[in-house]
Amino acid sequence: MLQAHSYLWHYLWVAPNLYLLVLAYLMWRRGRRRNYPVFFTFAIVASVGQLILYAADIIPWVSADAFWTVLWCGLLVEALVKFVLIGELFEHIFGPYKSLVKFGKILIRGVGAVLVFIAALVAAFSPVSNPHIIVSGPHLLEQTIYLIESGLLLAIFVLAAYFRLSSDRTSLGICLGLAISACVHLATWAVAANNSSKEVSVLLDLLHMGAYHVSVLIWSYYLLVPEKAPKKHRDPSTGPSAGPSAGPPHEEDLDVWNRELERLVH
Amino acid sequence: MTIAIILVVAALGTLIVILTFTVSQGLQSSGRTGPATEIRPMDVAAFRNLVDPAEDDYLRRRLPASDFRLVRRERLRAMAAYVQSAKRNAEVLVRIAQNSTLAADAQTAEAARRLEDNAHLLQRNCMFAIVKIYIALAWPNSSLAAAPVLQGYEELNHSAMLLGRLQNPAATMRI
Repeated sequence: MLQAHSYLWHYLWVAPNLYLLVLAYLMWRRGRRRNYPVFFTFAIVASVGQLILYAADIIPWVSADAFWTVLWCGLLVEALVKFVLIGELFEHIFGPYKSLVKFGKILIRGVGAVLVFIAALVAAFSPVSNPHIIVSGPHLLEQTIYLIESGLLLAIFVLAAYFRLSSDRTSLGICLGLAISACVHLATWAVAANNSSKEVSVLLDLLHMGAYHVSVLIWSYYLLVPEKAPKKHRDPSTGPSAGPSAGPPHEEDLDVWNRELERLVH
Repeated sequence: MTIAIILVVAALGTLIVILTFTVSQGLQSSGRTGPATEIRPMDVAAFRNLVDPAEDDYLRRRLPASDFRLVRRERLRAMAAYVQSAKRNAEVLVRIAQNSTLAADAQTAEAARRLEDNAHLLQRNCMFAIVKIYIALAWPNSSLAAAPVLQGYEELNHSAMLLGRLQNPAATMRI
């Protein structure tokens, strides 16, 4: 079961990509494509790319060279879309906060530049897993992409946590799915690059295909399961009342607040 | 192999941080104790004294260099504690503002958004101030500007009072 071309291996390669295509279709049907156009594009590009690659792997008349060429092309296109997607998520999370957008952009660009530098260094010192550049190249490229991607996602999460941004649930879910996929891929590629055993390589393949499957399920949950409607009335545990519809005024909350602020200014 | 180990540890660390944040976001939305009670009192006059460059100049003139460095480090530690307090209060006000941005009254919602913006600016200034303070701890003779934190705190106070006044006009009489 835990080997190449087993049922599990076929399922993990094909199923998440079919689910992702269905997710893109449902996004289009429900009009969510307009809110997340880059994620919609990513869902189509990534799933179609992987299905073409799967076909290239199992069709006997496709040569090894052709397979690796398809892998190279798919990887480059997917990487480009992924980084645009991270930009879209950044806009969704920081966009509503005018005071943070500019600062956040500067910080993310800085983090991106540092990550590119680190990824280049890591790639330069990584062992070459195969003497043929057409085989070892994609491994190094994937490692570089996942390193930058997980670093950027970490920076977005840390900034959002530091400023306690109430990011919308869907953006958070997409970020979470991307982060799980990127981190697991990064770790598995790092181990794979130092390992020549075929059995371990297959296990690592299954692990990152499984992680991708989990990511697709997370995206499906956050994009398809509707969010609970925000409460207009005041939650008694969370501070001063929220306007005229909030029921009776809670003066005791405001008293504490005003008292502390009074201490502050005088 | 060393690079592989570093990458695996980095990937796991990243994943743990991201999952922790996601879980804490979920818990945050499920409610917690009243944010207003979490506001920590801050003695702004003492803080103003700590960040006043004239005070530092006075101490520099009066004290021998080694004593000045000791005193300056103590003052910087106190300053860091104040800035941390200001940052925590800003976090509380962010939560209060976020609860009020859904208010049906447009004026209250706008005031809440302004309060949230100001609180974020203060958080940003606190982040810079903390970095500057720790640099100054290593090099006590350097000049330091934590004044933006003070200014931000006062602006935050105005925004908070405006939101308070809109939400509960009776209570504002006591401010």
